[in-house]
Amino acid sequence: MADVNITVDGKKVTAPAGTLLIEACKSVGIEVPSFCYYPNLSLQGACRMCLVKVEKMPKLQTACTTVISEGMIAITNNDEVRQARKSMVELLLGNHPLDCPVCDAGGECELQDMTFSYGAAESKFMEAKNHKDEQQWSPVVYFDRPRCILCYRCVRVCGEAMDVWALGVQNRGVVSVIAPNKEDHLECEECGMCIDICPVGALTSGAYRYKTRPWEMNHVGTICTHCGDGCKTTLGVRRSDSGMQIVRGDNRDKSGINGDFLCIKGRYAFDFADDPQRVTTPLIRRDGQLAPSTWEEAFELIGKRFAEIRDKEGGRAIGVVGSNRTTNEENYLLSKFARVVLKTNSIDHRRTADFPAFAAAMVGKPHAAATMRDVFNAPAILVIGNNPTEQHPLLAWQIRNNVRLHRARLYVINSRPIKLRRQATSFTEIPQGTEGQAAAFLGGDDSAAEALGSGSREMWVGLRDKLRGEGKLIIIFDSAIRGKDISALVKFGSAVSGAKFVCLGDYSNSRGAADMGLYPDFLPGYRPIADASTFKDEWGDMPTAPGLNVSQMAEAAAAGTLKGFYVVGSNPVGGLGLDPFAFSNTFVVVQDMFLTETAQMADVVLPSANAYEKAGTFTNTCGDIQLVKKAGEVSDVKSDFEMIVRIADATGFEVRKLVPFGGRGTSADMGQSRGAQSGEADRHVVWLEAHGLEPKMSPFDPMAILDEIQRLVPGYDVSRMNLLAGNDQHTTTVGTGQGGVQDAKLIAPANDNLFTSGTLGRYSRALNSVIENRNPEPAEEVAAD
Amino acid sequence: MPILKDIAAIAKGMSITFREMFAPTVVENYPDGPGPLKGAKVEPRYRGVHVLQRDENGLEKCVACFLCAAACPSNCIFIEAAENTNELRVSGAERYAKVYNIDYNRCIFCGYCVEACPTDAITHGHGFQNASFNASNLIYRKEQLLAAVPAHLGANAIFNRADVEGGAAAVPVPGS
Repeated sequence: MADVNITVDGKKVTAPAGTLLIEACKSVGIEVPSFCYYPNLSLQGACRMCLVKVEKMPKLQTACTTVISEGMIAITNNDEVRQARKSMVELLLGNHPLDCPVCDAGGECELQDMTFSYGAAESKFMEAKNHKDEQQWSPVVYFDRPRCILCYRCVRVCGEAMDVWALGVQNRGVVSVIAPNKEDHLECEECGMCIDICPVGALTSGAYRYKTRPWEMNHVGTICTHCGDGCKTTLGVRRSDSGMQIVRGDNRDKSGINGDFLCIKGRYAFDFADDPQRVTTPLIRRDGQLAPSTWEEAFELIGKRFAEIRDKEGGRAIGVVGSNRTTNEENYLLSKFARVVLKTNSIDHRRTADFPAFAAAMVGKPHAAATMRDVFNAPAILVIGNNPTEQHPLLAWQIRNNVRLHRARLYVINSRPIKLRRQATSFTEIPQGTEGQAAAFLGGDDSAAEALGSGSREMWVGLRDKLRGEGKLIIIFDSAIRGKDISALVKFGSAVSGAKFVCLGDYSNSRGAADMGLYPDFLPGYRPIADASTFKDEWGDMPTAPGLNVSQMAEAAAAGTLKGFYVVGSNPVGGLGLDPFAFSNTFVVVQDMFLTETAQMADVVLPSANAYEKAGTFTNTCGDIQLVKKAGEVSDVKSDFEMIVRIADATGFEVRKLVPFGGRGTSADMGQSRGAQSGEADRHVVWLEAHGLEPKMSPFDPMAILDEIQRLVPGYDVSRMNLLAGNDQHTTTVGTGQGGVQDAKLIAPANDNLFTSGTLGRYSRALNSVIENRNPEPAEEVAAD
Repeated sequence: MPILKDIAAIAKGMSITFREMFAPTVVENYPDGPGPLKGAKVEPRYRGVHVLQRDENGLEKCVACFLCAAACPSNCIFIEAAENTNELRVSGAERYAKVYNIDYNRCIFCGYCVEACPTDAITHGHGFQNASFNASNLIYRKEQLLAAVPAHLGANAIFNRADVEGGAAAVPVPGS
C-alpha cells in the first residue's frame, strides 16, 4: 500500500496507508496509552485512554480508531490531552477497588502503570464503591467484577482469536458487565487467554491466585513440555523447601513462536512436578519389592549388569526405549550410548508420526518444510486429518488467525466435522481412516477416490485442481498419512508452486526424538545403519545390523533372548500395551518421574527431572529448534542426561568418548555456568558463547553434545547465537536419500485432547480439575456461532 | 600560697563529686530495674523488633502483599501467602501470610518495611533484647512477631459465621 506522511509531536512519520494512528505513533517511539486497543483484535474504542489532538478536528480523537491520512498533524502531549488522560484514569478508578496489595495483578497491572504515568494524584469522587463478590467461572478462571474496567479485550480474544465465544457483555451503559456463556460458568477451551490479556486483575488464574507476587518470582521463558507445537511459556519460579517451585505459567514473554497464544497445558499443567507421587529416590527391587536405595548403588548395579549382559550375550540382548519428551541432547546421547556403549541397535521410541518417510520424501527440497510462523502467513493451507484445535492448539491458532487477519484460504479434509471447518473455505468429509487414500488421490492415483465416500469424482478432481492452482500452499498432515502416502502428497505438492509441508508429531520433542535417531534402523539425521561411516569415524565401533523395534523387543523378552531393557522417560507398557509379564526375566531399568506401569515392573527405577528442570533444546513438529531452560528444581532427581553418562561410566566406558567435554578454552567453571538459579546458567552460556569461551567443563553439559549434533546431524547447523538467545531456528530437512519406508503399524499416535497429556497429564491437578468439572458436551457445540 | 590554691581546687572538685553523689541518678538501671524492660527506657519512635498488628476484630492486618519484602534493603523478610477460607479466616482481606519470617541476623532496623506497608500491619516495637548465642534463633517466625489478641475480644471473638448459622457451637477461629 502507498505510504502516507503525517506529523506527530513535530516528528515526521511515514507509514503505509491504512495504519492506525496509535501504531504510527508507536513506530517512532511515541507512546499513546490505551487499554482496549490490542494489536490484531477488532477495534473497540471503549476506554478513551488514547485520546489525542488531531489538527482541524474539533474534538480529541481516539488514536486507536483513527486511520492516518496524508498531512495529518497529531499532538499527543499537550495540556488538553494530558488532562483528558487524567480524567479517564480518574473515571476508571471511580469504582475500581484500591486493593492492589492483595490483587494478583499488582506489580504487573496496566491500570497501575497508567495511573503512575498519566493519572491524577487524587480523585474527586467521594461515592462509596459498588462491591460485588468474586466469582469462580471455572476451575482455573476467577472473575472479580469491581476490578473490571470493561475494555472488552477478553471478550474479543475469546471470540475472534480463539473462536470460542465463551465471554460476552451483559447489560448496557454503566451497568455493563462481562459474563460467561453459561450463566455462572465457562464452557470453553480453558486456554486462559482472557486472564493473560486482562489489563487489570479482574480475571485471575485459579492455579496462581494469591500465591505470590510477580516481583517475588524468577521468570524463565522455556518451551512447553506438552504437545509438539513448541510454544514458549514463561514459568514463574520461587524458592521452596526442595529447590525451586514453579508457581505460574503464562505468556509474559511474547517472543516465542506462539506470539500471544498459550493453551491450558502450557499455562497450567506444570504442577505434575510437585505431585506427591513423584519418585525422588532411586529404587532397587529387593525380594520382589522396589526399595529405596542410593544413586551410587543403583548406578553400580546397572553398570555391572549391562556390562555383564553385553559381554556374555552380546549387545543384541539389550533393548533401549527413548522418550518423546527428553531434549535433543539426551536423545542423541541415548542413541550414541545404545550403539557405542551397549553395542546394540535395538533402540526405539513411541513413534507418533512417520518422520523417516517424511524426511525421505523431502530429499532435494531442503526448504519445503514449513515453520510454525509460516502457517500464520501462508495464503492457503490444506489440513488432511487431525484435529488441530485439540491436538495442536498453536497450529490451530495460527491457521484461525491467518484466515481471520490475512483471508487465507483453508481446505480441510477430515473424517469428523472438526472445529476448524468454521474457518475453512472448503470442508470435505471423508470416511474414517481414508486420509491415506485422500493423499494418494491428490498425488495422482485417481482410483483412490473410490474409497473417499459420498463425494463425487468430479468434486474430488475439482478440489485437486483448485489446490494445484494455489501458490505457496502449506500442506499439514498427521500420522494418519504414512509411508508411500507421504511421498504421494509431497509429489502432489511439487506440482504447486512454493508448497510447504508440516508433518504432525504429538509430543513436545517427537520430531527431535526422530531426528536424533531413536530408531533401530536409523542413526541421527535418518541415516541408515548400513551407511554409518560418518558416525563410525566419530563414535567408534558399533553394530551394523538393524536392531529390534519396541514390539520385537517385547517378543524377544518373552522368548528369553532380551536380557536387559533400558527405558528412558517412556511408558511402553501403559502407552503401547506391551505385556509386562514378558519382561519378568529381563533386567529392566526405568528412568521416570512417576511409578508408571513400566516403572512398576522395573528392577531399578531412577527418578528423573522433567523438561522444566533441565536445559537443552527441543525441536517442534515443524522442525523449529528452540532452547529449553531450567526453571524448576527438585532435589534428589537427576536429568536423564546425567544418568545416561553415569551409567556409561559405571559400565567402565571412558566418558570423554561419549560426551566430548573439557579440553580447549578456559579451565575453570567460573562458579556460574551451573548456577542453581534458573536462567542464570543460560545467560552465562550466552555470554561465554559470545566471547568464544564456552568451557563445557562437565561431562553432564548438554552443550557439549549440542556441538556434536550441530556438526553431525544434517539440518541442525543453525545459528548457535540465535538459538542460545532464545529465538526459534528452523532446521532444514536434509534427507540422505535413503530414508526408506517404516513399518506403518509401529506408529501409535497419542490422541491427546486439549486436557490430556500422557503421563504428565495424569499427574496434573489443574488438568484433572478441569476434566472433572467438564460438561460432557463438547465446548464447540455450545459456542455462539 | 600555692598549697592553699591546691586545696581550694580539690575542694571545688570534690564538691561536685559529693553533690552528684546525692543527686538522682540518670544512668538507667538496666538490666536490674523493674518491669519487663528491666529498667530500660525506650523512646516512643525507637525502631525495635517488629510487631505484626491486628485489626479491631483481632484479625491479622497483614495481607501478604510482599511490599515489605520488596522494600527491604537487606532482604531479611520471607513471606508465604495463602488464601483465606470460610473455615480459616486469618486476615481481613482475601489473602494472609501463612509464613512470615524476619531474619534478625540481617535486619538493619531501617524501617523501610514499616513505611512500605499499605495496611499498617508491620510496625516497629520496642524490643531490643534479641541477642542470642545461636544465629538460627534470630529468625523470628510470625508467631513471635504477632501482637497479642486485644483483651476485649475475649467475649467477642470472631466466629465462623457459616458454621454458627448452620447450628454449630460457636468456636473462635484459630488465630483470632
